[in-house]
Amino acid sequence: MARARVFVGLKETLGRLARSGPIPVFAVTAADAINAVRDLGLRREVEIVATPRHASVLLVAGRFGEGPIAGLSQIHDQLPLPRLTVRWNGEVLAEIPQARLVAGDVVELVDRLLALDAEILAGALASESPLLPDVDAVEWRGVGPYGHGGSGMTGGTPFGRPLADRAPDRDGLELDQLPVSVGPWVGALPAGLELHVKLQGDLIQGVEVGPKVAVMAPVDAFVRALDVPTPVKLLEVERARHHLRWLADVLVVHGLSALGLWALRLAHDLSPSDRSEVERLLSAVRKSGVIKLVVGRIRGGVVSPGVVGTGPIGRAAGSGDDARLDDQSYQELQFQPVIGETGDTAARWNQRMAEVVQSLDLAARAEERTAFGSGCVEGPRGLIVSKQPPASASLLEVLPTLLTGLEWGDAVSVVWSLDLDAFATSVVLLPSGTET
Amino acid sequence: MNALASVVFVALVLLVATYLVAVIDATIMIRVSRGRGYTGVWMDPIARAARLMMQRGSRTERPDLQVWFLAPALLAGLGAVALASIPVAAAVHVADNGAGIVLFGAAMLQVMVAVFLHGWAANSVFPMLGAFRMAAAGMSMSIPFSLALITTALPAESLSVGAIIVSQEGLWNVVRQPLGLPVYLITALAFSFWGPMQLPDAADLAGGTTAEISGVALLVWRVARIGVLVALSAMGAAAFLGGYLGPVLPGWLWMMVKTAGLATVMVWSGHHFARMRIESVVFLGWTLLLPIALVDVFLSGALTL
Amino acid sequence: MSGVIDLLFWAFGASAVVTGWLVFRTDSMVRAAYWLMASFVAVGGILVLLDAQFLGLILILMMAGEMTIMAIFMVMFMMNPAGLNPMTMVHQHRASIISGAGAFIVLALVALFANFLAEPVPTGAEPTVDLGVELLGGSMLVFETAGVALLAVMIGAVALVSQQGRFGDAEAGSLEPSLETEGP
Repeated sequence: MARARVFVGLKETLGRLARSGPIPVFAVTAADAINAVRDLGLRREVEIVATPRHASVLLVAGRFGEGPIAGLSQIHDQLPLPRLTVRWNGEVLAEIPQARLVAGDVVELVDRLLALDAEILAGALASESPLLPDVDAVEWRGVGPYGHGGSGMTGGTPFGRPLADRAPDRDGLELDQLPVSVGPWVGALPAGLELHVKLQGDLIQGVEVGPKVAVMAPVDAFVRALDVPTPVKLLEVERARHHLRWLADVLVVHGLSALGLWALRLAHDLSPSDRSEVERLLSAVRKSGVIKLVVGRIRGGVVSPGVVGTGPIGRAAGSGDDARLDDQSYQELQFQPVIGETGDTAARWNQRMAEVVQSLDLAARAEERTAFGSGCVEGPRGLIVSKQPPASASLLEVLPTLLTGLEWGDAVSVVWSLDLDAFATSVVLLPSGTET
Repeated sequence: MNALASVVFVALVLLVATYLVAVIDATIMIRVSRGRGYTGVWMDPIARAARLMMQRGSRTERPDLQVWFLAPALLAGLGAVALASIPVAAAVHVADNGAGIVLFGAAMLQVMVAVFLHGWAANSVFPMLGAFRMAAAGMSMSIPFSLALITTALPAESLSVGAIIVSQEGLWNVVRQPLGLPVYLITALAFSFWGPMQLPDAADLAGGTTAEISGVALLVWRVARIGVLVALSAMGAAAFLGGYLGPVLPGWLWMMVKTAGLATVMVWSGHHFARMRIESVVFLGWTLLLPIALVDVFLSGALTL
Repeated sequence: MSGVIDLLFWAFGASAVVTGWLVFRTDSMVRAAYWLMASFVAVGGILVLLDAQFLGLILILMMAGEMTIMAIFMVMFMMNPAGLNPMTMVHQHRASIISGAGAFIVLALVALFANFLAEPVPTGAEPTVDLGVELLGGSMLVFETAGVALLAVMIGAVALVSQQGRFGDAEAGSLEPSLETEGP
């Protein structure tokens, strides 16, 4: 009896200690909630983790299309106990009906998360049970001459999994090749991107892009500027925020999580007067060696202007297309696009970093001018024309050639440098229900 | 010191030092990311540890269970053994025998084995890639690491860490062997897989060897990793910065200050330098650090003779 | 104290034998490599007990790297590397039984009839110094220089001989070829 009481007291103390730290959350995010989840990551009560095994809460945010979300049940079962699921700003999930629905902004979500977490740690709330049955994928017990599913020396499905195929590597040897499916919600790749990769060691020998997730179309200032003339200041600050958020994600992937957090803080409340702090951040990024020593040493990853001619990717490869050149307000501001040369990963990094500073400079000088509104807009990823898919959608087709032959770390760097958007990784549903 | 007291002593020192390094890490993270007014730095590591203790472990499909449990314990044990080989004060040492620096080197090279086993055991692709990367990085960094340490034994004419410290009474090794400490620090980053050398548990592998673990296993792994960093910092302080030698303050306090200084340098570099590509790490070890370490040995040998 | 040392000796000895046997009993390639390493570590422990600390610890230090390389090479080149489908891990049974029994008999005879020293190591002895003097004598500097020269020669020889760099002709700048090889 006394021992049980000591044990319960210990659990209570641990629970109380645990509550004073951040709640680890694994986020499955649709395109329209990505910025909201980033804002959530800024709160110190919450820590967004890269793998579901480290998380206590599974957060499903944003609006998805109909039907099951790929991989969600497996991710739910991978969360260690005690776990719970929260559905934020979206409808009930078919796979996880017991998920708690939260609508509202970040503040309300954090309050709800803290309350739920306190209950679960105290044991007042039951943890969610697994969704999928714990059975082997292939029945192997008792199968085959050895009783474990295998046959011969290289045949059958020993312990339920087929033996690896062999494929020639570049030295002419026939070595095992591992086909593995990565994504769509893993922290190593952008949200929604699913890759079927054939690996030899950590060298990618073949890539196929997996099926796309269906999400609702995000609406931001640039989409609104298709129809309505929008102040240049607003557009340019939004552009800078977009690039800073991209920088934050990509810095975390490269091991600079502190600088990434700084970039995210800057992007949260960005104004043209923050230019000097942004320049300090960019200089810290350059001094970290990530451009010269890391992404600059990747052999490959060059996207030519023929594939994507607009946006930072096109400009980094030397194409001078920029819809802002045709707009009168920008001509008054003497806007000249930043143009790179090589079109490789380092060029794309430099391009976006230069465009952040350029956008803040334009926003500072813009005063009351407005721009666009007549059906086409220069978005942060490239040209947006109403009722047409943006040019970046063609990046997925070229991804296999781009990534084949790269080591895993280099491939991840290349993928992140492309700043893939929802239109590339997902089937985007417009409010009327039609797909793009 | 009798055996039980030694074990308890080393364990306590490791736990306290691990906690302090975690606090330093959080402080630097907040400063670099321009966070404002965060007062939770001291409670944060304890809160995270408590949460991990309340979390259950994870299982993948057919992992190598014994090895999976062994690896974090092995890593923790290696950090403790390495720390035990370093004398804390003039007469206070746990395991300073005639070949103390070789004991330290053996413990640290086995870290590569522990990380490889940890990645292998999970039967999953991201941990496996992390394990491969650590094997490559560890092999490339072993020889410069060992050479930088052996060089400090030359003026001491002994492999015992206590003798190496005593030999620095006139001049610290960081002054008379200037190439040694930078090489040692870079290879120490590799063996504690920290910062620019955080290859096995990297973010582009979604946590690498830790991608499939949770709960107490994850806690032990993280604590053990910081323990290895503490041991490497302590040896750097002992072999290059004169260990417990110093005016005014008592020996153990100097040891703490110097170890904390080196640990802060390594943690700081983790927040300011990007993670290197594995190809660059291997290239660095063989083509840059190895020749520099050899030059270091020759120069020190010539000076000593 | 000597009781503890005896206990440790028997523990190390037993684990060296058992883990050595396990190398051949396990199906997993990585486990086989690391059982072998465990056997070597136990032998290293015995050496430390014999006050030959340098030898014992160097053994442990080197086995870390060597067994990791062996594990990776086995995973890379073995058909059926995880031992998933049973395969005979041992071959040439008769030859190996005969040579194993023969080696055991020879070593047992040596252990029983050789004249081992029974004196304890004198206190204050410096085993590392004695080892160095015994092995290298007065030519220590020559040996050290030769060792470094050998390292340089090995690396240089590989660099010179490999006209085919990792990714192609070394003269042409070693860029990766396409992955469509014509086959072996």
